[in-house]
Amino acid sequence: MSGTGGETVFAVADASFAYPAQTPCLEGVSFAVERGERLALVGANGSGKSTLLHLLDGLYFPASGSVSYLGQPLSEAALEAAPFGPRFRADVGFLFQNSDAQLFCPTVEDELAFGPLQMGWRQDEVERRIADTLTMLEIGKLRDRAPASLSAGEKKRVALASLLVLAPSVLLLDEPTGGLDPRSQSLLLEILDGLHGRGITLITATHDLTLLPHLADRVLVLSEEHRLVVDGTPENVLADTGVLLAVNLIHAHSHRHGRLVHSHPHQHVVAHEHAHDDEPGHGHDRLGDRKEPER
Amino acid sequence: MHIPDGYLGPQTYLPAWGVMAPVWSWASARLKRTLRRRQLPMMALAAAFTFVVMMFNVPLPGGTSGHAVGSVLVAVLLGPWVAVVAVSVALAVQALLFGDGGITALAANCLTMAVIMPFAGWWTYGLLAGRAGSTPRRRALAAGIGGYVGVNAAALATGVLLGIQPLIAHDASGRPLYCPFGLAVAVPAMALPHLLAIGFVEAAVTGLGLAYLMRTEPDIPIAATPGPGNRPLRRLAATVAVLALLAPLGLIAAARLGAGTAWGEWSAGELSALAGRLPAGFGRLSSLWRAPLPDYGPPGAEASPMASQALWYGVSAALGIAAIVAVVLALRRLLAGKDSDDAAP
Amino acid sequence: MTPLPEWLRPGFAPGVAAPRQRRGSLRPLRRALAALEAVLSMLVSDSRDDRRTGLLRKADPRAKLLAGVVLIIAATLLHGLATLGLCLALAVGLAAAGRVRPVRIAAVLGASLALTTLVMAPATLDVVTPGAPVLTVARPGGGSLGPFRLPATVAVTGAGLAVAARMLLRTSACVTLALVLAATSRPQELLTGLRALGVPQAFVMVLTMTERYLAVLLRAAQELHLARLARSIGGIGVRREEAWAAAGIGAVFRRTRTLADAVTLAMIARGFTGEVRLLRPPRWRRLDWLVVTAAALAAVALVAADRGLA
Repeated sequence: MSGTGGETVFAVADASFAYPAQTPCLEGVSFAVERGERLALVGANGSGKSTLLHLLDGLYFPASGSVSYLGQPLSEAALEAAPFGPRFRADVGFLFQNSDAQLFCPTVEDELAFGPLQMGWRQDEVERRIADTLTMLEIGKLRDRAPASLSAGEKKRVALASLLVLAPSVLLLDEPTGGLDPRSQSLLLEILDGLHGRGITLITATHDLTLLPHLADRVLVLSEEHRLVVDGTPENVLADTGVLLAVNLIHAHSHRHGRLVHSHPHQHVVAHEHAHDDEPGHGHDRLGDRKEPER
Repeated sequence: MHIPDGYLGPQTYLPAWGVMAPVWSWASARLKRTLRRRQLPMMALAAAFTFVVMMFNVPLPGGTSGHAVGSVLVAVLLGPWVAVVAVSVALAVQALLFGDGGITALAANCLTMAVIMPFAGWWTYGLLAGRAGSTPRRRALAAGIGGYVGVNAAALATGVLLGIQPLIAHDASGRPLYCPFGLAVAVPAMALPHLLAIGFVEAAVTGLGLAYLMRTEPDIPIAATPGPGNRPLRRLAATVAVLALLAPLGLIAAARLGAGTAWGEWSAGELSALAGRLPAGFGRLSSLWRAPLPDYGPPGAEASPMASQALWYGVSAALGIAAIVAVVLALRRLLAGKDSDDAAP
Repeated sequence: MTPLPEWLRPGFAPGVAAPRQRRGSLRPLRRALAALEAVLSMLVSDSRDDRRTGLLRKADPRAKLLAGVVLIIAATLLHGLATLGLCLALAVGLAAAGRVRPVRIAAVLGASLALTTLVMAPATLDVVTPGAPVLTVARPGGGSLGPFRLPATVAVTGAGLAVAARMLLRTSACVTLALVLAATSRPQELLTGLRALGVPQAFVMVLTMTERYLAVLLRAAQELHLARLARSIGGIGVRREEAWAAAGIGAVFRRTRTLADAVTLAMIARGFTGEVRLLRPPRWRRLDWLVVTAAALAAVALVAADRGLA
């Protein structure tokens, strides 16, 4: 497991969680995150990766097991007590999947000011931070705009800015590239890269496997049974098609070459190559006598 | 039902602000206690939801269509105090950003649509379906009726607010300065369309909306309807309110039928006229205490027109009830010591 | 993938056509959709629509709000036709100075005038406002109709006309002043500006958040209407329409609740503990004081003139 060595930031011990009156969405998950790591949580829809992020941010608490930040177990009491509570909220930033839920202030400037004002910083310090953050993310011209009038990419950057203004040491990102056009996506990845360079720990939940090599040095795979099944490097995880199939992140896929039909388990990447020779796991049929592809 | 600027004089709209300010404070403080950090986003989204409800065009048999206000639906789903704030905020946004409904008249509009309507509707709903074992069907029906009652209560209140303008503000020659239509015109003009048509739009939206939500989300938390422990109090409150509203009828009936004063309730003048003389003690004691509202109206009001006397009768009823309730609440507080949870809002 | 059914190919013979039914019109649906979209377009302004144009451009929205409210209150205190006319003229002048589009001024004024005329028309008659008759409108000739006693003649009175004119002028002035407020500031600024009127911070935040999420919920409602339009040939009867409206409202409510929960979490995640703290707004400049003082003076002058003349 890679990491820049040393400090354990998060320690999750046998955590389980279920929303009230619903089926469980996490079962006995355990892992630790070290300072400076880039971690990705992957799994199909409903596997619990988003819920896990909420647990890491102390927005929900596990029904059994524990989630600790820098050794302190997260609980309602712990988060409402100073100095740990405010410190935690400033240290750990959560980029929500739905930018609309995250941007709730009248203008972009107010949005950036919200966190610092809650922390009780002085007005001039707040204004300085806001100016620097706007410049860093190149959204200065959006300062007086209302969030409702921004594009999806702009909203994402403003949402990120509202977290960065607090100088967090950990960022939790829930499907950060969802709904973004390619340019906005690559801009976002660039920013995250820069933050990683500064030693900020990044934990991303995603089901977009193409992003894994760009987003993470370590991947945790959650199954549809809401358990942690794999913990490895992106390369190893992506190569393990057996596991990916089992957790329903990929499916058996068919495509045609002329009058030949290939069926094989594969990920949905834009383009891929393989030979027309028979390889284990591949089947060639002619059109007209198709069978169900084997898994 | 939104009253625009210019129809109400400051004698009406300023007291409306005076009444609403403490109501808003109270609602806000109460919700902060129950909802805590959820309060702010919940208020805002409930207000936005109310606004959207007001925009839905609902058809009626006969080819017309109408709009609902939605206060009772919000009250049933989220509680009457949430409705007070949410509908007030929605009305404020409408007035300020869209010029829909007056700015000076905002408090008056909030009084009718954000206080009277949700509470009237919610109490009705509670009366009809307050028991824990109510079926969804019964709840939906109760909600629909609550919507109808609520919107008509609001329409009545609006009619009254408009109708009293000629009574309370006129120029030198006696012509009305604001809304020129008196109670006899304004009240039916507001009440009839709502009783006959618009009320049913509100009933449909409230009842069917609740029915739909109960079907699709069976565990939707419906705002706590008054439980068994509170029902007697609700019934009492509703009965008292109805009686207070009907009180002026007694005055009118007495005048019409020439009934005079009830037996034994004679004043000094009446007694001496009846008996030929006044007992000495009577004369001494009758001047001991000067009531603020003799004969349930301002001093010397016996000569005023029936409508204004009736109005003062109703005002006296309200003041009397308020005084009694205040005394009882104070006694409860004193005797119980610690604050017990709500029985009356 | 399971094979596609036989009939799923272009041009396959359609099923038996439903018998010709008289369907209701879809026009109410389209009208409702248009109304939704009108409101949406007023809320979501893009960067090109900078409302701060014209003479009132540089003034702080708080000053404009204070001035506007003062003038509206003044308008409700005026009784004389002359002073009310002056007030209306002032309002229209401010709208023009604020570069409000003439079409919009005309639309708002026109609508208000039309509605008020309709409502006030009965007030001109002597049955409502007694006085010297000016124009006889009808002659029911006395007698009675059921419980009502008919008057001999029904006429428009001078007093009635004065009353109606007063109402017309006053409502138009108020409505135009409100338009100036709404059209010369961005919605969020106008709401944030309420702090200058003494509205507590928590309420201001609720108001701005409401405006913020109104567009989101309106879009949800818009999508519902569009989805219905895209699959409808005609109306479906009152009962079903009501059920559709109720279902639509229910769907918007679900969205409301989910969004409220999500926003709560987002606020908590950024350290919200329940106390609202807003950025200190910039200090008032000379222009702002000028605007408020001018409005106050105008208001006082109008009311004084009104009382002096009355």
